[in-house]
Formats: sequence, C-alpha cells, structure tokens
Amino acid sequence: MSDYEVSDDEYYYDDEEMMDGTQDDDEYDEMDMDDDYNDYNDDFKVDTVPKKKSYEIDYESLSQADVEELMKQDVEHIVGITGVEECAAAILLRHSSWNKERLIEKYMDNPTGLLVEAGVTVPEQPEPTTSGSRAHSVSASSPSTKRSTRSSSKILSSFVPSSRNSSSKVSSSTTGSSSTRTSSTLMKRLSPDPSPTNSNEPFTCPICFDDSTDLKPMALDCGHMSCSGCWQAYITSKIRDEAEHCIRCMAEGCQIVSPDSFVKKVLTSCGDSSMMGVDVEANKIAWSRFQELLARNFVASVPSLKFCPYPSCTNTVKCTDAALKSSLTTIVPTVSCGARGIPGLEKSSGEESGNNNKNSKSKGTSGGSGTSSSILANKEHKFCFGCPIEADHRPVVCAIAKMWLKKCEDDSETANWIKSNTKECSQCQSTIEKNGGCNHMTCKKCKHEFCWVCMGPWSEHGTQWYSCNRYDEKAGVDARDAQSKSRASLERYLHYYNRWANHEQSAKLSVDLYAKTEKKMEDMQLTSELTWIEVQFMKKAVEEVEKCRMTLKWTYSMAYYLAPGNQKELFEDNQRDLEKAVEDLSELLEGPIEPEDIPNLRQKVTDKTVYVQKRNEIVLDDTAKGFHEGRWKWNVPVEGFEDDEAGFDA
Amino acid sequence: MDARLRRVNKEISDCKNDKTSNITLELVDNSPFHLKGSFPGPEGTPYEGGNFEVDITIPDAYPFQPVKMKFITKVYHPNISSASGAICLDILKDAWSPVLTLKSTLISLQSLLCSPEPNDPQDAEVAKHYTTSKASFDETAAYWTQIYAGGPGPKASLKGDNIKDKDNKKGKGGMMDEIAMAGLEKAHVEQFESLGFPKAKVIDVLKRLNYRGANVSSISEDRIVEELLK
Ligand SMILES: [Zn+2]
Ligand SMILES: [Zn+2]
Ligand SMILES: [Zn+2]
Ligand SMILES: [Zn+2]
Ligand SMILES: [Zn+2]
Ligand SMILES: [Zn+2]
Repeated sequence: MSDYEVSDDEYYYDDEEMMDGTQDDDEYDEMDMDDDYNDYNDDFKVDTVPKKKSYEIDYESLSQADVEELMKQDVEHIVGITGVEECAAAILLRHSSWNKERLIEKYMDNPTGLLVEAGVTVPEQPEPTTSGSRAHSVSASSPSTKRSTRSSSKILSSFVPSSRNSSSKVSSSTTGSSSTRTSSTLMKRLSPDPSPTNSNEPFTCPICFDDSTDLKPMALDCGHMSCSGCWQAYITSKIRDEAEHCIRCMAEGCQIVSPDSFVKKVLTSCGDSSMMGVDVEANKIAWSRFQELLARNFVASVPSLKFCPYPSCTNTVKCTDAALKSSLTTIVPTVSCGARGIPGLEKSSGEESGNNNKNSKSKGTSGGSGTSSSILANKEHKFCFGCPIEADHRPVVCAIAKMWLKKCEDDSETANWIKSNTKECSQCQSTIEKNGGCNHMTCKKCKHEFCWVCMGPWSEHGTQWYSCNRYDEKAGVDARDAQSKSRASLERYLHYYNRWANHEQSAKLSVDLYAKTEKKMEDMQLTSELTWIEVQFMKKAVEEVEKCRMTLKWTYSMAYYLAPGNQKELFEDNQRDLEKAVEDLSELLEGPIEPEDIPNLRQKVTDKTVYVQKRNEIVLDDTAKGFHEGRWKWNVPVEGFEDDEAGFDA
Repeated sequence: MDARLRRVNKEISDCKNDKTSNITLELVDNSPFHLKGSFPGPEGTPYEGGNFEVDITIPDAYPFQPVKMKFITKVYHPNISSASGAICLDILKDAWSPVLTLKSTLISLQSLLCSPEPNDPQDAEVAKHYTTSKASFDETAAYWTQIYAGGPGPKASLKGDNIKDKDNKKGKGGMMDEIAMAGLEKAHVEQFESLGFPKAKVIDVLKRLNYRGANVSSISEDRIVEELLK
C-alpha cells in the first residue's frame, strides 16, 4: 500500500456505490486503513451479519509468548506438587511429553528414579535416598555438595551408558568397552578438580585442550567441566545443527540435561572472547531458536495446539474442536495463525508483515479475505489443523482429500496426458495452449469456440444447460464385460480428475491473472475517472475466482466418492451452479476492456462477483452441514466413517 | 587460533607420540580436516593380521558434531557396508560426545570388529551370514582380510571344503576366489553351474538366499532353480 498516494477524501464511498447501502462514516486515517479496507470488502459479503458460518470453526491464534505462558503454568503446577525447582520441572515435563498426570504418578512412585531418568540428577549408587528429600535440592546453581563426590570412581563408572541402552543402536558392550578403554585418560581430564580455583594445577579444557589461565570452566550438576567457549560452541551446534532442545552434558554417556537457566547463562555470558571466538550475534540467534524449540516441543505434545507451518512463522493455533481425530469426519478445520506474508516475498515498506504479529493475540474465524496491494506476498497463513495435505481443502474432509490425492498419485501415469498444458482444437487440430484460468477457449486459427474441460462446443455450455461437471454414471452401469468395466471405471475417474486438475491449474494460473489484472487496473485509472480504490473490484473478482476454483477443485474429489442418489445430485447441482458462475466471471475478467465500456463492465463484474460469492457460500455451507449431519454417503469405505452403507462397488 | 584446528592438531600429535596403541593418523591432501586413520585387526578375530584404513572427515562443528568415518579397506562385517565401507556405530551418530577423539573413535571401530551387532546391521546379507553360520562367516571375513587387508588368510582350524583353493591363491597378488569371497561352498556353486547357469548368477542367488550352514538343508533345490530362472 505504499506505492500509491491518495488524498483522504478519496477513501469515502458514495452511497450509491455501496452494495448493501451501509456506510462507514469514520474519517480515514493511516492507522485505520485496514479496518476501512475490510469494510470495503464487506460490501461483497453475502452475509452482512458477522456470525460464524457452518463451514468455519472456532480457534485462537497464539504468539510464542502466549505459548510460553501456557508452558509456565504447567511448570508452576508441577513445582507446586513436587517441590522441585522450575528448571527441573521443565525438564521433567518435556521428558513426560507434557503429560502432567503421568509425570506426577511416576514422581510419587519413585522421585529419584524419575529425576535420574529425565537427566535432572546424577545417579548415585549407594545410600538409598529417602524419597522426596533430595528432590528439593535439585538445582543447577548449587552443585557444591556434589562436587566432592563427582571425581570419585563410582561416578565415572556410571558414565557407561545405562538409561540410553534401550535406544542405543550398537551393543553397549562395544561402546562401553571402547569407552572404558579409551576414555580413561580423557575421564581423568574430564573429572574436574573439585575446586579449580584453589588448586595449583591449571585447568585444561578436555574438549579444546586449551589451558589458558583465563578460561572459564563450567559444568552441570554432574561436574563435568569444560570451558565456557566449548559450552557455547556445543550448545549452539546442538540448537542450530540438530534443532535439539534437550542438550545433554558433553561427557560421554553422561545423561544430565542442561537446564534452561544454564543454556541461557552460557549463551548470554559474552565477556570472554579469548577462546572459541565468542560470536554474540550467533549466541543471540541460538538463544531465541532454543526458546522456539521449547515452544515447538510443547505444542507438538498438546493435541489442541498446532504450530503454524509457514516458513519462519512462530505462531500457534489452538483449536479444541479439532483436537480429537474423530472430529475430522464432521468438520474441516481450516485455520489461520493470524500472521501474513512469507519472508522474502514481502513488499518492502509500510506493510504489516507476517512475523511481526507475534504479540497479537487474535480471535478469529477462517475465511478472511486478502487485503493488501501485494496480493500474493501478503497471503494469510491459512492451514488445515487436521492434515498437511493442503491449506484449505474445503468443502471436503481430510480423509476424502487424502484418499483422492492418493488415488491421483497412483493413477498419475494414466492421467498424465490430461495434465499437459496443451490440447488440440477439436475442429482444426492445431495446438492450443491455455494461459488463463477461463475454460472458454477460442481457437486462434479457426475461431472454433469450445470448452477446455470436455472439448465440446462452447455453444452447448450456454446459459441454461451446463453439464460439464456431472459424470454420466449410467454409462458405467451399462458396462458388461470386464474390459469395458475397467475402461468405464478409468473413464469415470478421468472425468473427475480432469475437472479437478483443471481447476487446480486454473487457480495456479491466477498468478498471471493477478499480474494482468493489476495492469488493467492501472490502465483503467488512466483511461477513466475511477480512482485506485474504485478499480479494486477487478482484484476482488480475481481473488474470488481463485477462491472458488479451489472449492470447485475439491468438490470433484468429493463427487468422485459420493454414493449415487439424491444427495449426490443435489451436491452436483450446487457444484454446477458455482462452476457456471465462476466461468462466466472468469471470462469477463479475461476479455478486453474498452475505455468507454468501463462503467458497464464494473457493474457487471461487481454483480457477478457477488453472485459467485453466494454460490460458493451455498456449496461450502451445504457440504459442511452435510458432514455435520452425517448426510453424505460414500461409494467406498472412508477412514473414520462407519461403512454402514452396503453395496460399495469395488 | 581456530579452536577446531588446535584440537585436531593436538589429537594428531598425541597420536604420533603414542607408540603403544598402533593407531596411525595421516593427512590427506595436506588438510588437517581430511585424514586417513589405520589400525591393526584385533587379535583372536578373523580380522587379525590385517591393516584397516579409515577415511576421516572432520566437520565444521567438530568436536561438537561427530567425526565422519568410513572404511577404505573392504571389510566383511555385519555393521560395515561391504560395498561402501559405511559404518553403523552409535558413537558416530547420536551417542557421539565431544570428549571422544579421533583415536578413541578408531579404537571403537577396532572393538566393533571384535563384537559385531548383527541385530542392527549395516549390511543385511553379511549379517544373515553371521547369524546363520558363524564358522563360515569367520572364514569369509578372514578371506576378505587376506585379500584386502593383507591378512594371513583363514586359519587351519577354520578349514573348509575349499581351503585348498585358497591356499593355492594365497597372498595379495593371487587371483580372487569369487566363491570364497561370497562365503559359499565350492561344491554348491558347481552343482548349479553344472545345470547350465552362469557362475556369477549362481553365486548371486546363493548369496541372496543365504545358502550356508543349516540353511542348506532348508532351501530346496527347486527354489534355487526357480530363482536362477528369474
Ligand atoms: Zn574448551
Ligand atoms: Zn556430565
Ligand atoms: Zn503463521
Ligand atoms: Zn485437512
Ligand atoms: Zn481450431
Ligand atoms: Zn465442458
């Protein structure tokens, strides 16, 4: 929005231009741009009441700070019950995948066992400790009592991996024997002097072999010392190279996990630049990445939370309705994290950019509309809470979308020829390339008008009769022998696939259409009296077409699996009406614009956009209600649905 | 000085000064971050008498990330790829610790030769051989050691049917016996060869089916012919 200048009063609408007659009289100012703009978009909305639609679900966007707050609450809960310190509680929670009940149960049963297993405390062989008492002394900051024991041989012998044996790949005897043999010298180095400051013997770091006097030795509770530079390099590498938040001691086989406070201390103590070349900036990045990893670990453990899958976005969506897998047969949980844009694609100046929304906690419902001059760079972070298949596969549920894509993958070779971008004119056989989203093709050579999808003459696709969406199931029923049956089944599949792929391709081509449209909008401003904001109807229409093509695309996967009957016919009626409306609008957008015709065109496009929106609404709404009511019946068993309907044709 | 370079230099010089371990480290292409290590095969194993060379690459994040190692010398071992020399060993992966050194890691490889872990194989065919007929495996491993690592060859105590052939071809210069390399019995290979199948194919099929030891009685000849006809 930075690349144009407009005076304030140009942002008003004349009453006559308002589609629904409402008018927002607030004076426009820079900060309100977005609200204003949304009001503008609302003009196109069929529903003027902002209530939740049947195909929308409730969810909440959380910033990383919000997630950290949730984590803190859990940590405090555990501290309150067990009495361990916060850092220890956090490690215990991560160790238990944030299952508080199981953690508490295990802790009550055997606190020492759990603390050792989680890497909070060093296993101690003798003196069976009384439960609970030691737990309170768990701390990263007071290792003094343990220092006296840690150089003893019994601790060293405990380095031979014990608790990791189960997961360790190669026999522990191999590693064990080699480590006891080889590390004896190392362990001597590693087992630190109980009090390095009092000792005459200077500290030599067992990792970097440095023995400078200005080294700063550091150790976890286990007492395995190494210099602060090595700790920094080690922790940074774990975080950066392995995306690991569970950072164990560097000593071989030592299971002690670095508490968050230790990681922070290491990464933020930047005084000594003598050894490993302290990189303050790298440490900073590592520390913030560490916090993100902790949040991700938490989010991954809680079924009602999902991390936003968009690159370098750190927002989380909370959706309680979609937490259970069984809910995915009745809803399509399309959500949005609240942020917009993708780094690198963003327009440079002045725009609200995706990742800066970290601190905004916004309630939302899906289905918001894009509201920026740079249409693609500022897309909202929409995704499906139930599956990674596609950001928005409404109206079909995850299981259908998944089945369909699997089928397309399996049959890709047979269907490949359809995917191609070129076809031959059915009249003169010259090659025709599709370069826009519209299905109404006109051969450049012979001027033959035909439908890209079915290759039939376009004249048959006129206003009354539009049967391009419906497969004639009868033809399949008539098939007698096995060969024609299998051909019929392939043809049936191709019918749906063809239309599915066509809408997908058309939606992809809308990138070009956007560019063309922006150009047209600029031209319009030059050749007519219209202001920038007044030519927005073009962009809005393109957006709507793209959106509806995505709906249409998925309706074909749905229709493919719908059992024949009344419900399917109603579904296909709605599908046909939407498709017809979309093709009409699409054609209008791709046609040439005569300057004298602009007011007329504007009226037509605006009307059709409203109509298309209404048709889309009907498809989405009716399909969603159908899922909710369990109205849809399938011709194959679908995951999660009871296959009570007999007579699947294999 | 760069901490990684200091550490690697120290490791190399420590290794040079240590005359007792028999572990050697030398630079490749004059880079301290690409090395060649070697160690003798452990006594009392089929690898005894051989010298095993290992390609060593020091990653940028060393020692905080594990060193990369693979065998240059071909080894017949369940946890080492007989084709590429890739090694399956926990300390080269998630069990790596920055306190481990090049020398200690090479010693771990040496002890891996002593104690194979066939349940977590790198080379499935070799692992099958190991689990079904240990004696035959030892013989093949010793033969590989002889051919590739300059070992003395299978011991008299491990004498099998084809030991005479091996004796004839003893030494590195000798011709390789493909049947012994595959750990198969000469008589078995000849039996199917006489049916008119090419030798290489017979070896391949018998190897794949693990036609060794107790398995010989459980795999029917028809089954083998069936495989040979594929
Ligand atoms: Zn150090
Ligand atoms: Zn330790
Ligand atoms: Zn996001
Ligand atoms: Zn989904
Ligand atoms: Zn034509
Ligand atoms: Zn058509």
